Amino acid sequence: MAALPQLLVSTILLGGIYALIAVGLTLIFGIMRVVNFAHGEFLMLGMYLAFWSFTLWKLDPYLVLFVSIPLFFSVGLVTYFLVMRGVIGASHNVQIFTTVGLSTALQNLALVLWTADYRIVRPWYGSVVVHVGQAAFNLAQIVAFAAAMGFTLGLFAFMKLTHAGRVMRATAQDREAATLMGVDTDRVYRLAWSIGIACVGVAGVLMSPLYSTYPTAGLQFVLLAYVVVVLGGLGDMAGALLGSVIVAAVEVVGAYVFGTAWKEVFYFVLFILVLVFRPAGLFGQRGAETLGV
Amino acid sequence: MRRHAAALVVFGAAALAPLAVRDAYFLDSLVLILMWGALSAAWNVAGGYAGQVSLGHSSFFGLGAYAAALLGTRWGISPWIGLVVGAALATGAGLIIGYLSNRLRGPYFALATIAFSQVLLIVASRWRGFTKGSEGIPVPFRPGFWSMGFTEKAAWLYLTLGVALAVYLVQVYLEASRMGYQLAGVREDEDAAEALGIASRRLKVTAVAISAALTAICGTFWAQYVGFVDPFYVFSVDLSVLFALNAIIGGVGSAMGPFYGSILITSLDTFLRAKLSGVAAGLIGIHLIIYGCVLIVVVRFLPQGLAVGIGQLVARKVRVAGA
Repeated sequence: MAALPQLLVSTILLGGIYALIAVGLTLIFGIMRVVNFAHGEFLMLGMYLAFWSFTLWKLDPYLVLFVSIPLFFSVGLVTYFLVMRGVIGASHNVQIFTTVGLSTALQNLALVLWTADYRIVRPWYGSVVVHVGQAAFNLAQIVAFAAAMGFTLGLFAFMKLTHAGRVMRATAQDREAATLMGVDTDRVYRLAWSIGIACVGVAGVLMSPLYSTYPTAGLQFVLLAYVVVVLGGLGDMAGALLGSVIVAAVEVVGAYVFGTAWKEVFYFVLFILVLVFRPAGLFGQRGAETLGV
Repeated sequence: MRRHAAALVVFGAAALAPLAVRDAYFLDSLVLILMWGALSAAWNVAGGYAGQVSLGHSSFFGLGAYAAALLGTRWGISPWIGLVVGAALATGAGLIIGYLSNRLRGPYFALATIAFSQVLLIVASRWRGFTKGSEGIPVPFRPGFWSMGFTEKAAWLYLTLGVALAVYLVQVYLEASRMGYQLAGVREDEDAAEALGIASRRLKVTAVAISAALTAICGTFWAQYVGFVDPFYVFSVDLSVLFALNAIIGGVGSAMGPFYGSILITSLDTFLRAKLSGVAAGLIGIHLIIYGCVLIVVVRFLPQGLAVGIGQLVARKVRVAGA
């Protein structure tokens, strides 16, 4: 049990980063009722932004962070107008393949522009190890965790405290009632999509010192984010936070007990089991998934 | 017969091609067009006719590829038996996925199928003792019919043509049979179909299982043809997306749609690979950028697919001009 503190802190650090990816995904689903199959590609773009800023202009990823928020918000706006706006309220299949098409296009755009090479950002703090008691952590991981938590909590506060946040939550609960109350739903969807994309873009920048960057880098993490959001209940932001910690715990403990090679099997099996037995999430309402909600 | 005119032209041309052309590169392209067309048509049985949109069909493809490759390299068993074993395994997996389709709809089902293929990917790439892990399996070439070692490209062409025809006929059956009409009913309005006494659950499971078995058969042929099984390719999400991409761009509503999609996509893919491989290998994904965008446009504006949609547009223009 000597490893317990290390496992515990690793879980929390990892969970914090997963939360930022998942929170954007679940926000988009909760409000637009669209599962964004291109979410991972925006994460990948965030990682490339950090990589190129660092390589070309020696800009630290944590400085790029501040640029990335308005930048990815704008990317969100553009993709909303070009792609997503026309498929709000369309059938599931149309929505699935619209975002799948977006994913294919972005992934191959990265492949053509930047080749399939694995890129690594190595800032000075990438190799600094912090010792706390018996546990040891990478400094970049701690910073990423802190920033991710900061953004996630900021988003929660925005949704809870501001007028725009209240309007978004109202639309998520009942689209028609919100429209009748004079809510401009197009504006709400636009905001939800762009905030969701900004979150995952920021997550990409934060993760760049920790993981390699390549055109399909997003896939691995977005699969994980799907597990997280389904566990927490699609559309449920607080659930996404809890789901992140659960998935991180499964990953960390699975890797510790059975070796890193098999860790993914655990959360995919967990994912399928949850989909089959509690598709509305561990804490969600039963039956939400068969209504297609 | 008019209904099958397009099929006669396409498959007939493919059948006659080896008589006119001996160019190995050209015949190879034809084999791949038919192979990917058959795979997309197999996807269409579940995704189009039964309305169960899967993004994990590479699971079945990989099972077919691995079954024959493993039986052949480990125990020297004929790939024809591997083909049957792979199809049986895929039918089992299809029953599981079909069961999921009864519990989950839309994006939930798509996510579950992705997760399923990822589990198989991890098992295939990590279980080194049995599957050789991430190295993959080279399939040895042994000439002869029983070992599926055909030196002639033409033999492969007729083999894949046979598969393509078979999958085409399965789709035609689904268009004009009792089961097909019932499936259409379930796809359009499951509750109404249930109310009419249609066993919707069993129908969907059957359709997914058939689709899975056909996909696995193609997987076996593909592995024997290409000669190498790489877990990260055969179980990839990209491959599952490609099956759906061909079918949707070509037209999910029709039996020829997936083949049109494959003609468009596969031929451009092989052409670009050949043209760009030396000088500008980095540009190889460029057509996929376009296809991603085309997919977005097609699902929104031409839901019947590019071929059928353009045909209808032309017909309307002609009618307007005539009136």
